[in-house]
Amino acid sequence: MDIFDSPWLINMLAKSSKTPQGRLLGLFDILNDWLKAPSFEQASVTLGAPNPLLISYCVEQAKSLGAENPELLAEHIVLIAQNAARHAITQPESNSLIHAKKVALALIQAQTQKTAITTNVKGSRSALYGVAASMVIVIGAAAIWAPMFIHSKSAQAQLVQQNQINTAINQNKALTAIDASRMYAKYEQMRQGTCQFPEVLQIPDEHKSIYLENVVGGKLPNDLADLGVANFYLEKVRCNFTPMLMAASK
Amino acid sequence: MSGLREKILSTASDLFQTQGINSTGVDTIVATAGTTKMTLYKYFSSKELLILEVLKEGHQDFQTWLNDKLSANTKHPAEKLQKLFDYIEEWITSPDFNGIGFIKASAEFPKEDNPVHKLSAEQSQQFRQYIKQLATEANIKDADGLSLQLSLLFKGAVQAEHMQRGSDAVKYAKIAAKILIDGSLTR
Repeated sequence: MDIFDSPWLINMLAKSSKTPQGRLLGLFDILNDWLKAPSFEQASVTLGAPNPLLISYCVEQAKSLGAENPELLAEHIVLIAQNAARHAITQPESNSLIHAKKVALALIQAQTQKTAITTNVKGSRSALYGVAASMVIVIGAAAIWAPMFIHSKSAQAQLVQQNQINTAINQNKALTAIDASRMYAKYEQMRQGTCQFPEVLQIPDEHKSIYLENVVGGKLPNDLADLGVANFYLEKVRCNFTPMLMAASK
Repeated sequence: MSGLREKILSTASDLFQTQGINSTGVDTIVATAGTTKMTLYKYFSSKELLILEVLKEGHQDFQTWLNDKLSANTKHPAEKLQKLFDYIEEWITSPDFNGIGFIKASAEFPKEDNPVHKLSAEQSQQFRQYIKQLATEANIKDADGLSLQLSLLFKGAVQAEHMQRGSDAVKYAKIAAKILIDGSLTR
Protein backbone atom coordinates (compact mmCIF):
# COMPACT_ATOMS: atom_id res chain seq x y z
CA MET A 1 0.00 0.00 0.00
CA ASP A 2 0.99 3.59 -0.38
CA ILE A 3 2.16 5.05 2.89
CA PHE A 4 1.27 8.55 1.73
CA ASP A 5 -2.42 7.61 1.76
CA SER A 6 -2.33 6.11 5.20
CA PRO A 7 -4.04 7.77 8.19
CA TRP A 8 -1.28 6.20 10.28
CA LEU A 9 1.18 8.67 8.79
CA ILE A 10 -0.84 11.68 9.94
CA ASN A 11 -1.21 10.16 13.42
CA MET A 12 2.52 9.67 13.62
CA LEU A 13 3.14 13.22 12.44
CA ALA A 14 0.82 14.63 15.09
CA LYS A 15 2.80 12.80 17.75
CA SER A 16 6.23 13.54 16.30
CA SER A 17 6.80 17.01 17.72
CA LYS A 18 5.40 19.85 19.78
CA THR A 19 6.11 22.48 17.13
CA PRO A 20 4.54 22.83 13.68
CA GLN A 21 7.98 22.92 12.09
CA GLY A 22 8.90 19.71 13.91
CA ARG A 23 5.72 18.05 12.69
CA LEU A 24 6.42 19.03 9.08
CA LEU A 25 10.01 17.80 9.25
CA GLY A 26 8.89 14.70 11.15
CA LEU A 27 7.52 13.44 7.84
CA PHE A 28 11.04 12.65 6.67
CA ASP A 29 12.11 10.86 9.86
CA ILE A 30 8.97 8.74 9.91
CA LEU A 31 9.39 7.75 6.27
CA ASN A 32 13.05 7.02 6.81
CA ASP A 33 12.33 4.74 9.77
CA TRP A 34 9.46 3.11 7.96
CA LEU A 35 11.51 2.31 4.88
CA LYS A 36 14.42 1.03 6.95
CA ALA A 37 12.24 -1.25 9.04
CA PRO A 38 13.06 -4.88 8.30
CA SER A 39 9.42 -5.86 7.96
CA PHE A 40 8.55 -3.67 5.06
CA GLU A 41 7.81 -5.40 1.80
CA GLN A 42 6.70 -4.06 -1.50
CA ALA A 43 6.73 -0.47 -0.40
CA SER A 44 5.27 1.71 -3.06
CA VAL A 45 5.03 5.42 -3.36
CA THR A 46 2.89 6.96 -6.04
CA LEU A 47 4.08 9.79 -8.14
CA GLY A 48 1.63 12.51 -8.93
CA ALA A 49 -0.89 14.45 -6.94
CA PRO A 50 -0.28 13.99 -3.21
CA ASN A 51 -2.96 12.76 -0.83
CA PRO A 52 -5.34 15.65 0.03
CA LEU A 53 -5.66 14.66 3.71
CA LEU A 54 -1.91 14.70 4.18
CA ILE A 55 -1.68 17.99 2.30
CA SER A 56 -4.32 19.67 4.43
CA TYR A 57 -2.65 18.46 7.62
CA CYS A 58 0.63 19.94 6.40
CA VAL A 59 -1.08 23.19 5.34
CA GLU A 60 -2.26 23.59 8.94
CA GLN A 61 1.31 23.16 10.19
CA ALA A 62 2.63 25.58 7.58
CA LYS A 63 0.02 28.15 8.66
CA SER A 64 0.97 27.76 12.32
CA LEU A 65 4.62 28.39 11.64
CA GLY A 66 3.78 31.55 9.73
CA ALA A 67 4.61 30.57 6.15
CA GLU A 68 3.90 33.19 3.50
CA ASN A 69 2.19 30.67 1.25
CA PRO A 70 1.19 27.69 3.42
CA GLU A 71 -0.55 25.74 0.63
CA LEU A 72 2.50 25.90 -1.59
CA LEU A 73 4.91 25.06 1.23
CA ALA A 74 2.87 22.02 2.25
CA GLU A 75 2.56 20.78 -1.31
CA HIS A 76 6.22 21.31 -2.12
CA ILE A 77 7.34 19.51 1.05
CA VAL A 78 5.07 16.53 0.46
CA LEU A 79 6.21 16.28 -3.17
CA ILE A 80 9.83 16.31 -2.04
CA ALA A 81 9.04 13.61 0.52
CA GLN A 82 7.39 11.46 -2.19
CA ASN A 83 10.33 11.83 -4.55
CA ALA A 84 12.84 11.16 -1.81
CA ALA A 85 10.94 8.09 -0.60
CA ARG A 86 10.90 6.66 -4.12
CA HIS A 87 14.58 7.39 -4.39
CA ALA A 88 15.20 5.67 -1.06
CA ILE A 89 13.43 2.52 -2.25
CA THR A 90 15.64 2.17 -5.31
CA GLN A 91 18.84 3.51 -3.71
CA PRO A 92 18.68 2.96 0.06
CA GLU A 93 22.32 3.99 0.54
CA SER A 94 21.70 7.51 -0.76
CA ASN A 95 20.16 8.76 2.53
CA SER A 96 17.76 10.66 0.34
CA LEU A 97 15.24 11.30 3.12
CA ILE A 98 17.88 12.91 5.31
CA HIS A 99 18.86 15.18 2.45
CA ALA A 100 15.20 15.85 1.70
CA LYS A 101 14.69 16.98 5.28
CA LYS A 102 17.40 19.60 4.83
CA VAL A 103 15.68 20.79 1.68
CA ALA A 104 12.36 21.05 3.52
CA LEU A 105 13.98 23.05 6.31
CA ALA A 106 15.48 25.44 3.75
CA LEU A 107 12.04 25.88 2.18
CA ILE A 108 10.52 26.64 5.57
CA GLN A 109 13.23 29.24 6.13
CA ALA A 110 12.65 30.68 2.67
CA GLN A 111 8.95 31.09 3.45
CA THR A 112 9.40 32.59 6.91
CA GLN A 113 12.51 34.76 6.71
CA LYS A 114 10.79 37.78 5.20
CA THR A 115 8.27 38.20 7.98
CA ALA A 116 11.12 38.33 10.47
CA ILE A 117 13.54 40.49 8.53
CA THR A 118 10.84 43.07 7.77
CA THR A 119 11.93 44.00 4.29
CA ASN A 120 10.41 46.87 2.39
CA VAL A 121 8.76 44.58 -0.14
CA LYS A 122 5.06 45.37 -0.32
CA GLY A 123 3.71 41.84 -0.27
CA SER A 124 5.62 40.72 2.75
CA ARG A 125 4.76 43.93 4.54
CA SER A 126 1.08 43.38 4.22
CA ALA A 127 1.60 39.80 5.38
CA LEU A 128 3.38 41.23 8.40
CA TYR A 129 0.53 43.57 9.20
CA GLY A 130 -1.82 40.65 8.76
CA VAL A 131 0.14 38.65 11.30
CA ALA A 132 0.27 41.63 13.62
CA ALA A 133 -3.45 42.23 13.31
CA SER A 134 -4.30 38.63 14.02
CA MET A 135 -2.02 38.65 17.05
CA VAL A 136 -3.88 41.70 18.38
CA ILE A 137 -7.14 39.80 18.04
CA VAL A 138 -5.69 36.82 19.85
CA ILE A 139 -4.30 39.03 22.57
CA GLY A 140 -7.56 40.98 22.75
CA ALA A 141 -9.50 37.77 23.17
CA ALA A 142 -7.03 36.62 25.78
CA ALA A 143 -7.52 39.87 27.67
CA ILE A 144 -11.28 39.40 27.76
CA TRP A 145 -11.06 35.84 29.00
CA ALA A 146 -8.03 36.43 31.11
CA PRO A 147 -9.78 36.29 34.51
CA MET A 148 -11.25 32.90 33.61
CA PHE A 149 -8.28 31.27 32.02
CA ILE A 150 -5.35 33.09 33.45
CA HIS A 151 -4.17 30.31 35.72
CA SER A 152 -4.43 27.48 33.27
CA LYS A 153 -3.61 29.19 30.01
CA SER A 154 -1.28 32.05 30.60
CA ALA A 155 1.81 30.03 31.45
CA GLN A 156 1.38 27.96 28.35
CA ALA A 157 0.56 30.96 26.18
CA GLN A 158 3.59 32.80 27.46
CA LEU A 159 5.79 29.86 26.62
CA VAL A 160 4.45 29.69 23.08
CA GLN A 161 4.77 33.41 22.66
CA GLN A 162 8.26 33.38 24.09
CA ASN A 163 9.26 30.84 21.44
CA GLN A 164 7.79 32.98 18.69
CA ILE A 165 9.57 36.05 19.94
CA ASN A 166 12.86 34.25 20.24
CA THR A 167 12.71 32.93 16.71
CA ALA A 168 11.62 36.32 15.40
CA ILE A 169 14.49 38.01 17.19
CA ASN A 170 17.08 35.42 16.25
CA GLN A 171 16.24 35.80 12.60
CA ASN A 172 16.06 39.51 13.01
CA LYS A 173 19.75 40.26 12.65
CA ALA A 174 19.16 42.43 9.63
CA LEU A 175 17.40 45.30 11.35
CA THR A 176 18.34 48.40 9.49
CA ALA A 177 17.83 52.12 9.36
CA ILE A 178 14.66 51.44 7.42
CA ASP A 179 13.20 49.69 10.43
CA ALA A 180 14.20 52.53 12.71
CA SER A 181 12.51 55.05 10.44
CA ARG A 182 9.43 52.87 10.24
CA MET A 183 9.37 52.75 14.00
CA TYR A 184 9.53 56.53 14.14
CA ALA A 185 6.60 56.70 11.76
CA LYS A 186 4.67 54.34 13.97
CA TYR A 187 5.43 56.41 17.08
CA GLU A 188 4.12 59.42 15.20
CA GLN A 189 0.89 57.61 14.38
CA MET A 190 0.51 56.44 17.93
CA ARG A 191 0.64 60.03 19.17
CA GLN A 192 -2.19 61.02 16.83
CA GLY A 193 -4.63 58.22 17.39
CA THR A 194 -6.20 55.99 19.99
CA CYS A 195 -4.17 52.87 20.17
CA GLN A 196 -4.76 49.44 21.51
CA PHE A 197 -1.66 48.03 23.16
CA PRO A 198 -1.02 44.39 23.87
CA GLU A 199 -1.57 43.52 27.54
CA VAL A 200 1.62 43.76 29.59
CA LEU A 201 0.50 40.61 31.38
CA GLN A 202 1.01 38.64 28.18
CA ILE A 203 4.61 39.74 27.81
CA PRO A 204 7.54 37.82 29.26
CA ASP A 205 9.20 39.51 32.28
CA GLU A 206 12.50 40.27 30.58
CA HIS A 207 10.71 42.20 27.85
CA LYS A 208 8.36 44.20 30.05
CA SER A 209 10.66 47.17 30.61
CA ILE A 210 11.60 47.38 26.94
CA TYR A 211 7.94 47.23 26.04
CA LEU A 212 6.91 49.92 28.50
CA GLU A 213 9.72 52.29 27.69
CA ASN A 214 10.17 51.81 23.97
CA VAL A 215 6.73 50.87 22.76
CA VAL A 216 4.24 52.45 25.16
CA GLY A 217 6.69 55.26 26.00
CA GLY A 218 7.54 55.89 22.37
CA LYS A 219 11.29 56.16 22.76
CA LEU A 220 13.56 54.56 20.15
CA PRO A 221 15.92 52.09 21.85
CA ASN A 222 19.68 52.51 21.55
CA ASP A 223 20.57 48.87 21.73
CA LEU A 224 20.14 46.71 18.61
CA ALA A 225 18.82 43.73 20.52
CA ASP A 226 16.27 45.93 22.28
CA LEU A 227 15.33 47.41 18.92
CA GLY A 228 14.40 43.94 17.73
CA VAL A 229 12.27 43.29 20.78
CA ALA A 230 10.61 46.70 20.65
CA ASN A 231 9.93 46.38 16.94
CA PHE A 232 8.29 43.01 17.50
CA TYR A 233 5.81 44.47 19.98
CA LEU A 234 5.40 47.69 18.08
CA GLU A 235 4.01 45.70 15.17
CA LYS A 236 1.27 44.51 17.49
CA VAL A 237 0.00 47.93 18.48
CA ARG A 238 -3.13 48.76 16.57
CA CYS A 239 -4.36 52.30 16.25
CA ASN A 240 -7.98 52.68 15.28
CA PHE A 241 -7.60 55.56 12.82
CA THR A 242 -4.50 54.55 10.86
CA PRO A 243 -5.56 54.32 7.26
CA MET A 244 -2.13 53.17 6.07
CA LEU A 245 -2.03 50.25 8.40
CA MET A 246 -5.57 49.20 7.62
CA ALA A 247 -5.02 49.54 3.91
CA ALA A 248 -1.88 47.49 4.09
CA SER A 249 -3.51 44.72 6.01
CA LYS A 250 -6.11 44.14 3.33
CA MET B 1 17.24 14.88 -41.67
CA SER B 2 13.74 15.10 -42.94
CA GLY B 3 11.61 18.18 -42.32
CA LEU B 4 8.58 16.00 -41.84
CA ARG B 5 10.27 14.02 -39.07
CA GLU B 6 11.06 17.27 -37.25
CA LYS B 7 7.50 18.46 -37.74
CA ILE B 8 6.11 15.27 -36.20
CA LEU B 9 8.55 15.50 -33.30
CA SER B 10 7.73 19.11 -32.43
CA THR B 11 3.98 18.54 -32.80
CA ALA B 12 4.11 15.46 -30.57
CA SER B 13 6.23 17.34 -28.05
CA ASP B 14 3.67 20.17 -27.81
CA LEU B 15 0.74 17.78 -27.49
CA PHE B 16 2.46 15.60 -24.89
CA GLN B 17 3.26 18.60 -22.76
CA THR B 18 -0.13 20.24 -22.97
CA GLN B 19 -2.46 17.21 -23.02
CA GLY B 20 -0.39 14.51 -21.44
CA ILE B 21 1.51 11.67 -23.09
CA ASN B 22 -0.92 8.83 -22.48
CA SER B 23 -3.95 10.81 -23.49
CA THR B 24 -2.50 11.95 -26.82
CA GLY B 25 -3.27 9.44 -29.55
CA VAL B 26 -1.27 8.91 -32.72
CA ASP B 27 -4.32 10.05 -34.69
CA THR B 28 -4.26 13.43 -33.01
CA ILE B 29 -0.55 13.81 -33.69
CA VAL B 30 -0.81 13.09 -37.41
CA ALA B 31 -3.90 15.26 -37.78
CA THR B 32 -2.22 18.20 -36.05
CA ALA B 33 1.03 17.75 -37.94
CA GLY B 34 -0.86 17.47 -41.22
CA THR B 35 0.53 14.10 -42.17
CA THR B 36 -0.49 10.44 -42.25
CA LYS B 37 -0.06 7.54 -39.87
CA MET B 38 1.96 5.81 -42.55
CA THR B 39 4.50 8.62 -42.59
CA LEU B 40 4.67 8.73 -38.80
CA TYR B 41 5.39 5.00 -38.59
CA LYS B 42 7.98 5.35 -41.34
CA TYR B 43 10.06 7.54 -39.04
CA PHE B 44 9.02 6.12 -35.67
CA SER B 45 8.14 2.47 -35.65
CA SER B 46 5.95 2.84 -32.54
CA LYS B 47 4.37 5.48 -30.31
CA GLU B 48 6.81 4.49 -27.60
CA LEU B 49 9.75 5.20 -29.85
CA LEU B 50 8.26 8.58 -30.69
CA ILE B 51 7.89 9.35 -26.95
CA LEU B 52 11.52 8.42 -26.34
CA GLU B 53 12.69 10.65 -29.18
CA VAL B 54 10.59 13.57 -27.91
CA LEU B 55 12.07 13.15 -24.44
CA LYS B 56 15.63 13.01 -25.74
CA GLU B 57 15.20 16.14 -27.79
CA GLY B 58 13.43 18.02 -24.99
CA HIS B 59 16.10 17.19 -22.48
CA GLN B 60 18.84 18.14 -24.90
CA ASP B 61 17.18 21.53 -25.47
CA PHE B 62 16.85 22.20 -21.75
CA GLN B 63 20.42 21.19 -20.94
CA THR B 64 21.88 23.15 -23.85
CA TRP B 65 19.90 26.25 -22.97
CA LEU B 66 20.93 26.05 -19.33
CA ASN B 67 24.55 25.39 -20.13
CA ASP B 68 24.75 28.25 -22.63
CA LYS B 69 23.17 30.64 -20.15
CA LEU B 70 25.56 29.64 -17.40
CA SER B 71 28.68 29.76 -19.54
CA ALA B 72 27.78 33.08 -21.09
CA ASN B 73 26.91 34.90 -17.89
CA THR B 74 29.14 33.52 -15.19
CA LYS B 75 32.85 33.01 -14.78
CA HIS B 76 33.42 31.35 -11.43
CA PRO B 77 32.14 27.86 -10.64
CA ALA B 78 30.60 28.98 -7.35
CA GLU B 79 28.72 31.68 -9.22
CA LYS B 80 27.36 29.10 -11.69
CA LEU B 81 25.87 27.11 -8.86
CA GLN B 82 24.27 30.21 -7.37
CA LYS B 83 22.86 31.27 -10.74
CA LEU B 84 21.49 27.85 -11.59
CA PHE B 85 18.10 28.45 -10.02
CA ASP B 86 17.88 31.94 -11.51
CA TYR B 87 17.92 30.38 -14.97
CA ILE B 88 15.67 27.53 -13.97
CA GLU B 89 13.22 30.18 -12.82
CA GLU B 90 13.57 31.99 -16.12
CA TRP B 91 12.85 28.75 -18.00
CA ILE B 92 9.89 27.75 -15.87
CA THR B 93 8.21 31.15 -15.69
CA SER B 94 8.52 31.86 -19.40
CA PRO B 95 5.05 32.04 -21.00
CA ASP B 96 5.62 29.06 -23.30
CA PHE B 97 6.80 26.73 -20.54
CA ASN B 98 4.90 23.48 -20.76
CA GLY B 99 6.71 21.44 -18.19
CA ILE B 100 9.92 19.48 -17.93
CA GLY B 101 9.59 16.36 -20.06
CA PHE B 102 11.42 13.86 -17.89
CA ILE B 103 9.48 14.83 -14.77
CA LYS B 104 6.11 14.56 -16.49
CA ALA B 105 7.05 11.33 -18.21
CA SER B 106 8.18 9.58 -15.04
CA ALA B 107 4.82 10.40 -13.44
CA GLU B 108 2.89 9.12 -16.44
CA PHE B 109 4.95 5.94 -16.67
CA PRO B 110 5.53 4.95 -13.05
CA LYS B 111 6.57 1.33 -13.70
CA GLU B 112 10.30 0.93 -13.17
CA ASP B 113 10.83 -1.38 -16.14
CA ASN B 114 9.00 0.75 -18.67
CA PRO B 115 11.42 2.17 -21.30
CA VAL B 116 9.93 5.67 -20.98
CA HIS B 117 10.32 5.53 -17.20
CA LYS B 118 13.87 4.30 -17.59
CA LEU B 119 14.82 7.11 -19.93
CA SER B 120 13.25 9.77 -17.72
CA ALA B 121 15.04 8.36 -14.67
CA GLU B 122 18.29 8.44 -16.65
CA GLN B 123 17.72 12.07 -17.61
CA SER B 124 16.89 12.97 -14.04
CA GLN B 125 20.17 11.32 -13.05
CA GLN B 126 22.04 13.23 -15.77
CA PHE B 127 20.65 16.48 -14.47
CA ARG B 128 21.79 15.61 -10.97
CA GLN B 129 25.25 14.77 -12.31
CA TYR B 130 25.33 18.16 -13.97
CA ILE B 131 24.60 19.86 -10.64
CA LYS B 132 27.18 17.67 -8.95
CA GLN B 133 29.75 18.73 -11.53
CA LEU B 134 29.02 22.42 -10.81
CA ALA B 135 29.24 21.74 -7.06
CA THR B 136 32.56 19.90 -7.42
CA GLU B 137 34.02 22.74 -9.49
CA ALA B 138 32.87 25.12 -6.78
CA ASN B 139 34.93 23.11 -4.27
CA ILE B 140 31.96 21.94 -2.26
CA LYS B 141 32.94 19.08 -0.03
CA ASP B 142 29.70 17.16 -0.10
CA ALA B 143 28.96 17.74 -3.78
CA ASP B 144 27.03 14.50 -3.98
CA GLY B 145 24.72 15.40 -1.09
CA LEU B 146 24.16 18.94 -2.32
CA SER B 147 23.35 17.73 -5.83
CA LEU B 148 20.73 15.38 -4.40
CA GLN B 149 19.26 18.19 -2.31
CA LEU B 150 19.11 20.62 -5.21
CA SER B 151 17.64 18.07 -7.60
CA LEU B 152 14.93 17.14 -5.06
CA LEU B 153 14.19 20.84 -4.65
CA PHE B 154 14.07 21.36 -8.41
CA LYS B 155 11.88 18.34 -9.08
CA GLY B 156 9.37 19.27 -6.38
CA ALA B 157 9.16 22.84 -7.63
CA VAL B 158 8.53 21.72 -11.20
CA GLN B 159 5.83 19.27 -10.05
CA ALA B 160 4.16 22.01 -8.01
CA GLU B 161 4.30 24.24 -11.07
CA HIS B 162 2.87 21.46 -13.27
CA MET B 163 -0.09 21.23 -10.89
CA GLN B 164 -0.65 24.95 -10.84
CA ARG B 165 0.89 27.47 -13.18
CA GLY B 166 2.21 30.60 -11.48
CA SER B 167 2.49 28.83 -8.12
CA ASP B 168 5.59 30.76 -6.98
CA ALA B 169 7.20 27.39 -6.24
CA VAL B 170 10.38 28.33 -8.08
CA LYS B 171 10.59 31.68 -6.33
CA TYR B 172 10.86 29.97 -2.94
CA ALA B 173 12.98 27.14 -4.34
CA LYS B 174 15.49 29.76 -5.42
CA ILE B 175 15.75 31.17 -1.88
CA ALA B 176 15.96 27.66 -0.42
CA ALA B 177 18.69 26.75 -2.94
CA LYS B 178 20.74 29.69 -1.79
CA ILE B 179 20.34 28.62 1.85
CA LEU B 180 21.47 25.08 0.97
CA ILE B 181 24.40 26.22 -1.17
CA ASP B 182 25.59 28.73 1.44
CA GLY B 183 25.29 26.05 4.11
CA SER B 184 27.43 23.60 2.17
CA LEU B 185 30.04 26.22 1.26
CA THR B 186 30.77 27.08 4.88
CA ARG B 187 30.90 23.47 6.00
